Amino acid sequence: MFIKENFKMALDSIFANKMRSFLTMLGIIIGIASVIAILAVGNGAADEITTTFSELGATTISLNANDPDQSGDLITNDDLNVLKDSIEEIRYISPNEQMNGTVSSEDEARQTVVSYGTPDLQFVSQMMSSTLVEGRYFNQVDFDEAQDVAVIDEDGADALFGRVDVVGEMIRVSVAQSQMNLRIVGVVEGSFADMQGAFDTSQIPLFVAMPHSTLSNQVPQLAGMDSVIIEVETTEQIDPVSSQVVRLLELRHNSVGDNVYNATNFLQALDQVNNVLSLFINFIAAVAAIALLVGGIGVMNIMLVSVTERTREIGTRKALGATTRTILIQFLMESIILSLIGGMIGLTIGIILSNIIAGALNIVPIFTMGSVALVLVFSTAVGVFFGIYPARKAANLNPIDALRFE
Amino acid sequence: MIEITDIEKIYKMGGETVKALNKVSLSIQEGEYTSIMGPSGSGKSTLMNILGLLDRFDSGRYMLNGTDVSGLSDSELAKIRNKEIGFVFQSFNLMARMNVLENVMLPLVYGKVPYKERRERAIEALEKVGLGDRLEHLTNEISGGQKQRVAIARAIVNRPSVLMADEPTGNLDSKTTLDIMRIFQELNSEGTTIVMVTHEPEMAKYSKRIVHFRDGVIIKDEELTPELLPEREVE
Repeated sequence: MFIKENFKMALDSIFANKMRSFLTMLGIIIGIASVIAILAVGNGAADEITTTFSELGATTISLNANDPDQSGDLITNDDLNVLKDSIEEIRYISPNEQMNGTVSSEDEARQTVVSYGTPDLQFVSQMMSSTLVEGRYFNQVDFDEAQDVAVIDEDGADALFGRVDVVGEMIRVSVAQSQMNLRIVGVVEGSFADMQGAFDTSQIPLFVAMPHSTLSNQVPQLAGMDSVIIEVETTEQIDPVSSQVVRLLELRHNSVGDNVYNATNFLQALDQVNNVLSLFINFIAAVAAIALLVGGIGVMNIMLVSVTERTREIGTRKALGATTRTILIQFLMESIILSLIGGMIGLTIGIILSNIIAGALNIVPIFTMGSVALVLVFSTAVGVFFGIYPARKAANLNPIDALRFE
Repeated sequence: MIEITDIEKIYKMGGETVKALNKVSLSIQEGEYTSIMGPSGSGKSTLMNILGLLDRFDSGRYMLNGTDVSGLSDSELAKIRNKEIGFVFQSFNLMARMNVLENVMLPLVYGKVPYKERRERAIEALEKVGLGDRLEHLTNEISGGQKQRVAIARAIVNRPSVLMADEPTGNLDSKTTLDIMRIFQELNSEGTTIVMVTHEPEMAKYSKRIVHFRDGVIIKDEELTPELLPEREVE
């Protein structure tokens, strides 16, 4: 029996009962379309999350010292200098700590969050933007000489002075019972510029950044630190740099094996999020696979009806010389093609559907060759699995019984 | 060519066993045109189905062209049906979704004949039954007589050694019946062996031999001079 004839026969039979064939395929169509849409949207969402996390800091290491007795000397500014000098992959290193206090100009006093660190703070701070609108950030000279300088953001400048070009103006900062008069050297983009007018910004603390050295001169108990942010060049450097940093600090503080220092990163958090997401995707995909299963049962049902309806045809074919095997192939081919056409339609609808859903969620759906292959393999498998029983039933009919069938 | 000896076929109906064929022996030579006659239930159709390898028998021996067919597998029987036997059924049994040409080509598809040759031989067979101009018609677009002529073309397309017809005119009116009988006579005069089951003496009189059946046994086997039908008029 030639494949071409079988193929044509199967198509003829499928198209002879268009409505019935379509209804039979519907289960497969819905199943495949949902699987495709879920995978595409899910992968798109996972990709979006990865990108977002990368922007947030896929190259960021968060170093923490476990400091139960608040000694405050587990990480010092000397440590930071040594780390930066000896590990060349480190781009930026700075404590990222904040103190609450007040800030005032001659006219205005407000609550403030004071961030302090090395000049690298501008690149690692998540509190304040690194985009300057006026002046400059405090630099290494300011830091080394513990100059009384500060950087504030646009919102703060506006609140304290009613204008943005405030470089050179003096502010008074009070933290931890100490007071400092600081000269503003730069103004960065406002954190809440986008939300202007959305709510009452006067209740929000102002942001001020200053050199750690300046602060620790005034407040000696803040000389040590227990949380440092390290920025490296590439994601691949995170793990080696993390262990180098911990090793070096342990050696410098004679605490090898005490688990005082630990370095974490966003990738670990990302892994967790992705794990949860893929669990979720797999769960929904499993539900969609049940639809596919139901679709397969539909195929089997209609093939059984078809075998019964065409009993005389089968008998005639056998009389004309069709063997058990040719009849088996004929009916199997029919159920496979039925499932495959359903799969193709499902694939098309799935692609359209995922574009619509992804569009609404503002993400880009991702289609892989894998999911297309999955559709082809899965629909063929459904066709074979649910077609084999009806096909065997047809093939094993006794010719004379089939011919006599009313 | 066909040689059956002591063929028995037993049906179980409820608790009773019925002998549809009771030690039937029959021999049919090449080029014969035999009618098998008898009332319904006489066993004539059962014999036909056994001769056509559509049904198996319980005991006895069947030699077809020198081959003992009783030990053959289903697929070997299918091959012999394909090559050696052409069937014409009472209800035509054409494939509804295929056109005339495709119907006639079907046995050649199962015989694995390449497309070009299939087509040529199918057209030749259709011309022989006077349907050379209906190749592309679907079978529901033609009359009953034409359907049976398509079925005959299908039966002879593989050049079988015997053509078996089971009540071939049972669903036809008298005029088309004569057409079919005329075609049978033509085919037989060209050398085709024909076995025809019928319950109508009107049909049997066109054949060369009549085997009468009753209650599973042959009661009479007569040779006759067939009544010849006039040549077909050119349509």
